[in-house]
Amino acid sequence: MERRKMKKFILNKDNKDLNPTDEQIKRQKDFSRLHHDYEKLTKRSKHPLYKDPKLFMLLFILGLVLFLIFYEG
Amino acid sequence: MKRKPNSTTLSDSELVLLAKKKRSDFGLLYEKYFDQLFRFVFKKLGGIEETAGDITQLVFMKAMANLDKYEDRGFPFSSWLYRIAQNEVALFFRNEKKNYSVPIDENRISELASEADLGSNMTIEQQEELIEMLNGLEESQLEFIELRFFQELSFKEIAEIYTITEASAKMKVYRILEKIGKKWKGEK
Repeated sequence: MERRKMKKFILNKDNKDLNPTDEQIKRQKDFSRLHHDYEKLTKRSKHPLYKDPKLFMLLFILGLVLFLIFYEG
Repeated sequence: MKRKPNSTTLSDSELVLLAKKKRSDFGLLYEKYFDQLFRFVFKKLGGIEETAGDITQLVFMKAMANLDKYEDRGFPFSSWLYRIAQNEVALFFRNEKKNYSVPIDENRISELASEADLGSNMTIEQQEELIEMLNGLEESQLEFIELRFFQELSFKEIAEIYTITEASAKMKVYRILEKIGKKWKGEK
């Protein structure tokens, strides 16, 4: 079954400008925003583990439990 | 003194290598191709500036994130960007709940009509009929027509987007035009 198209071409009766102006291009062009978004998306948190007491304690307890299980075994 | 890399003096392959080593150098590729990509997306959406801006940024974001997977096969870097942009715009239309009308200039329709041998002096009604016929084409066929007549890309540029030969791109477009011509004459 063919998917229903959400896009339809029509005749440009209103003479709408279909090419962006230099001003519009300039407004949208922003590499620093892109780079910032990229960094946010790809880089890990710079917050070190030892500065997060809850996560640190959780990992510590987990490690201790594992150690005790293996020690007893 | 070490000279700063420049997008006008370096080839695409050199710019890609630089960006692969240091992502902030991707800015050179961005600088080189943003304008033409934005124009492409803007036209595809029928002139919605903000959405075109967001989609263009997304295209560059995806290119930047997947740069290590990019293989240089001798095509311009822009052909890869165009492919991502085609997919992103298609996804945008698919995810939208409402129908979108994309306006097409009269002179673009006239050129298409003349290439399909439908006559050069069409009335407004005939142009609208032709557009309706185009809307009935399969999406893959309409893409070729759109790239050639509405985006005004050369056969070489179309071939690079689809990684086919220029002759194949030309053949595909003319076969679709032939199909349109037959259908048009059949209905008249």
